[in-house]
Amino acid sequence: MSIFSFFRSAPRPSAVQAKERLQIVMAHERAGRSGPDYLPMLQQELLAVIAKYIDIDQNKVEVKLDRGGDCSTLELNIELPAREAAKALKEAAKAAVGKANGGAAADDDESSDSVKMAAGGALTNGGIKKRR
Amino acid sequence: MGKIIVMTSGKGGVGKTTSSAAFATGLALRGFKTVVIDFDVGLRNLDLVMGCERRVVFDFINVINGEAKLNQALIKDKRIDNLYILPTSQTRDKDALTKEGVEKVLNELSKEFDYILCDSPAGIERGALMSLYFADHAIIVTNPEVSSVRDSDRILGVLNSKSRRAERGEEPVTQQLLLTRYDPERVERGEMLKVDDVLEILAIPLLGVIPESQAVLRASNVGMPVILDEHSNAGQAYIDAVGRFLGEDLEHRFVSVPKKGLFSRLLRRTA
Repeated sequence: MSIFSFFRSAPRPSAVQAKERLQIVMAHERAGRSGPDYLPMLQQELLAVIAKYIDIDQNKVEVKLDRGGDCSTLELNIELPAREAAKALKEAAKAAVGKANGGAAADDDESSDSVKMAAGGALTNGGIKKRR
Repeated sequence: MGKIIVMTSGKGGVGKTTSSAAFATGLALRGFKTVVIDFDVGLRNLDLVMGCERRVVFDFINVINGEAKLNQALIKDKRIDNLYILPTSQTRDKDALTKEGVEKVLNELSKEFDYILCDSPAGIERGALMSLYFADHAIIVTNPEVSSVRDSDRILGVLNSKSRRAERGEEPVTQQLLLTRYDPERVERGEMLKVDDVLEILAIPLLGVIPESQAVLRASNVGMPVILDEHSNAGQAYIDAVGRFLGEDLEHRFVSVPKKGLFSRLLRRTA
């Protein structure tokens, strides 16, 4: 390695990016290979809980996932009906669930927030850390 | 009503997914609301080529089975407006593609999108059949190589007999050839089939010739459709092909070895 490479931030070669992307996506896939695909069930159960309290439109539910090497984020956005939204606090209009990583998820287990716990637990099962 | 395009080839590894990603991106860049669907159930790869593999939550099969809503499974491209990806399942198999299920999803999509691009798996089994069944247009991806040309001919036969348009006796699926991995230098040396040879054998109109290019691997490494690499020959060739698909009359580039002047001979370009 040349001494100059210390001072120059060379762009990462595309092959390095390819390897990193593959490692992340494949670690998640291998971890999830045993057992059923939990996301549809997770969503149904979460929605069932929420529907007990709020009348929600199943079409206005958005589930976002960002799988990372150390940390995955699961985000659940539920658009509340106008009448309910007026009643609810402004922050409550967007129910965000998630940001659980392998380590932090264990801490969430004692959380009194049941929705958050469900997401954290599920991600730990499918997560990359457990496999390593 | 959206138009349904199938990117198909019969043979594997000829560039269907690369071309699907590039073509869908090109149509969206032209302002058309476009969705690209991965039909390769169990061997999902369009998400990697499009660079959205980390954002897959639900997939095509979840929607078919009623486990998720369509708009929950659609992934919006982060770079291009109007561009959406519908990934497929990595865990199920091709039997999950029922004709009724696929039709329901395509009908729903065609209300909202201008173009629905179906990325076919290799082969002529269920996945490939379902991807072409509802098509209005077919783009046949072919390499200038004997097995690829023969398989393309086979898939043309399938389009003409097993597509919905064929079964109903409607106007046939339009068919256009996309010749990929073309190397004019090898053609000049007589080592590779010429464009005209392939056209003579397959007898369908030419949509474009994509030159063999190192940009294709670089683009897939980083999850970017190669059409966004506007400096590369391959990217420009895809831009032209999209233009031709939309009815523009564009001359085919990159089909012959450029005449080298003294200057370019000294500074040999490797792009």
